[in-house]
Amino acid sequence: MHRLYTRSPIAKLMWGILSSIIGIVALLLVLVSEVPRMEAQTINWQGRSVENGATLFDSNCATCHGPNGQGLLGRAPGLNSYYFFTPTGRLADVGWAGSLEDYVKLTISAGRPSKTDSQWPEIMPTWGGQFGGPLRGDQVEDLTAYVMNWQESALEQTPEEDLFQPFDDVIKPAEFQNTAFLFLSEEEQTAALEEYKARSIRAPAELWQSEACFACHNLAVRQEDEPGQNGPNLADLFERAGSRVDGLTAEEYVYQSIVDPASFVVLTYEDVGEMPQNFAEKLSEVEIQGLVAWLLDPERDQDQEINE
Amino acid sequence: MGVQQDIREKGVLGAVAAQADSVFTRITAGIDSGEFRRMLQGDPPGRPNPRLKPHAESFLLHIKPTYYHESVTRFTHTFRLGLMSTYLFIVETITGILLMIWYAPTPERAYPDMILLLTNIPFGQFLRDMHRLGAEAMVAIVTLHMVRCYLTGSYKPPRQFTWFTGVLLLVFTLFLSFSGYLLPWDQLAFWAVTIGTSMAEAVPPAVVGEVVNLLARGAPDIGANGLMRFYLLHVLFLPLLLVLFFFVHYYKVVHFGISLPADEEEVGEDTANRVPADKRVYYLPDVLVDETSFMTVITTLLILLTVFFFQAPLEHIANPQSTPLHTVAPWYFYWLQGMLKIADKFVAGVLLPGVLLVLLMAIPYLDYNPSRRGKDRKVAIVAGVVAGTVMIILSWMGTPEYAVQGAPSVEIVQDLMPEEGSGISREIGYKHLPLGIWRTDEEYDVHDHEFNELLHEFYAAVDFYRRSDPDFNAPVGQVSITQDQPGLKKLKWEIFWFDAQGTAGSYEKSFWLHEDSIYWEQYGWKHLFFDYVADGWNELSGANAGE
Repeated sequence: MHRLYTRSPIAKLMWGILSSIIGIVALLLVLVSEVPRMEAQTINWQGRSVENGATLFDSNCATCHGPNGQGLLGRAPGLNSYYFFTPTGRLADVGWAGSLEDYVKLTISAGRPSKTDSQWPEIMPTWGGQFGGPLRGDQVEDLTAYVMNWQESALEQTPEEDLFQPFDDVIKPAEFQNTAFLFLSEEEQTAALEEYKARSIRAPAELWQSEACFACHNLAVRQEDEPGQNGPNLADLFERAGSRVDGLTAEEYVYQSIVDPASFVVLTYEDVGEMPQNFAEKLSEVEIQGLVAWLLDPERDQDQEINE
Repeated sequence: MGVQQDIREKGVLGAVAAQADSVFTRITAGIDSGEFRRMLQGDPPGRPNPRLKPHAESFLLHIKPTYYHESVTRFTHTFRLGLMSTYLFIVETITGILLMIWYAPTPERAYPDMILLLTNIPFGQFLRDMHRLGAEAMVAIVTLHMVRCYLTGSYKPPRQFTWFTGVLLLVFTLFLSFSGYLLPWDQLAFWAVTIGTSMAEAVPPAVVGEVVNLLARGAPDIGANGLMRFYLLHVLFLPLLLVLFFFVHYYKVVHFGISLPADEEEVGEDTANRVPADKRVYYLPDVLVDETSFMTVITTLLILLTVFFFQAPLEHIANPQSTPLHTVAPWYFYWLQGMLKIADKFVAGVLLPGVLLVLLMAIPYLDYNPSRRGKDRKVAIVAGVVAGTVMIILSWMGTPEYAVQGAPSVEIVQDLMPEEGSGISREIGYKHLPLGIWRTDEEYDVHDHEFNELLHEFYAAVDFYRRSDPDFNAPVGQVSITQDQPGLKKLKWEIFWFDAQGTAGSYEKSFWLHEDSIYWEQYGWKHLFFDYVADGWNELSGANAGE
């Protein structure tokens, strides 16, 4: 029988020396290719981040900002836009001192208030988990990478091609400079505030968008892999709401679910993560009541085309 | 002074040589230079054997026997599997400690740390790949070691307890490898460990199962606490346990000696420790040279595999809200996953593995046949081979090949462009995906070999499910490749079909592919010099070769 075992220590030493040389040569090969390898890996993972961002953008952002980031008039401004990417454009107009990337990251995370006097009256909802939104930090990073990836095509546009000229809110209208309020009497202030509040009650369909309810819930029965998987489907809420929790009517149940979501979680969604807890502070009582009625309205889908 | 006297007695050169020799003897723990030369020349030792001294003087050598029986030093007797297991554990310890430098076990940092390791740490990828390869090799080698000992009957008296500790070491090795699985915090890790720990839940009664599961995961679901626990198990608790039992195991091995080939001794006898003088192979220098050269060869093999072939996978970051389509356990637990498919969680996940483990440890106490010779152990050998075959079949059943086919439309897209990993679409890459709409009911004249291959596989997959699924009639597949952003293509897959009742169905799934993304899993042979980075990937990207 042929035996692998050989008694000659010299042969073994030669094997040892030969294989050490081969091993060292292989390690040297790694050494000289480390710099290009790390470069390739760096852009590889940046590319993957853009890919992840594309998926998130498609399911969460494209409804308002347009599938190609071209923006939708009256909904949300374009991101694939010359005005957005030039340093003298949007950043200068809002007086942002940091980088565009940081501006995008902050806007995604924290949302953006007060564009009410521009051509973009819709509010950018908060998306970052640390501000009560549905996305994790790494997802915000990926989305930012995706938005920033429009830079090249955006800067190729001529300013004329770019539909998104400076926002109307850049030069602020007179009533926006609200210092006169301070000089009113107390009664006048109260009356003005009441009037302001009455004027600023948002419609349920608007809240559905601005509070990003649609990111987790659906108003229509949808395909499995579409967005809106993270919360119960609300298409047939009016049928179920009355029987969810003993002793609560449908209205009371939906009201409680908005104001104090943790008090009852539908079994299937226990592991999914929680609904933001701060709607009681963000919405006025009237708005919540309106939203409850709207969500429970069986005719809702006929009046509203919000979910399409 | 001593020095002066030395010089007076031996002359200057003689005194220096004597001094050098004494330093040499201290380094080698007792072998002087003359004896060393005689060793190299292959001269037999004198009497009393001066080459035994290092075994008394040096710690590392005192745990090795001074000589072996010639028969057990044959490669084909042990295949050096025990040595290799030990050596792999050392490799894992060294690479593991180095990897710990750049790793923090929190959900926020674990995955970014992996990417940092790959992108910014020289030899970072090498260390990670080697650690992963070493871990998988260690599981395989330890298992083979057990198989070898079973086949040669080495567990028989007096080595019953050696076998027992060996089975424990196998269990620790499996857990060690599995606990490391979670640490990259990617989808692969998260879901494999979710499946693994969910088996603990099946321990009866329900309260105990719940508590065990809670202890392992640190919460009802795996999160920050679970990651910390698995990390501590992986880097501290299990290695310490393994080291402890390794020494028990090794002590027993040395104490009883390695069992001789069965036909060299009488049935029922154990003469491993009674080695006739002419059969002795001394550790110094023969076995030492053999073992070191063997380990050097193994190291080189490990390095070559790591450098040129092996990629430790890294999928998307763990997402508790989305389960990947085909979630699999690590390959060494495929058999468990296979059992879980045919029996319930308690029977397949707790009872059978528990019984199996107890049986395995009890083999030496149950097998009363005193003979270690193959021809006397037909039942044992056949039982072993049957058990091995069952394991392999169960393992096959654990893969997605068996009984977890989703809907045809989902499977087709998963074949060509899976959620995780590469698939042919990502393998051929950005530059081989021409823009346009490509349908399986039309023929195209594309001058891109790689893309043709993709189209061909698309036709084949659609056709395969058309023939095998009665609810999948007149199917048409379509992939629309569009330029979504600079350097980013969108692949929108759509499948249309009619079910048996004639109702139309459709399925749609979109993926994006960036030109810089390299799907590492795709290469059998790594692109060592990354020449494609300089070339650029976009020469073909704009051209729609089809229309």
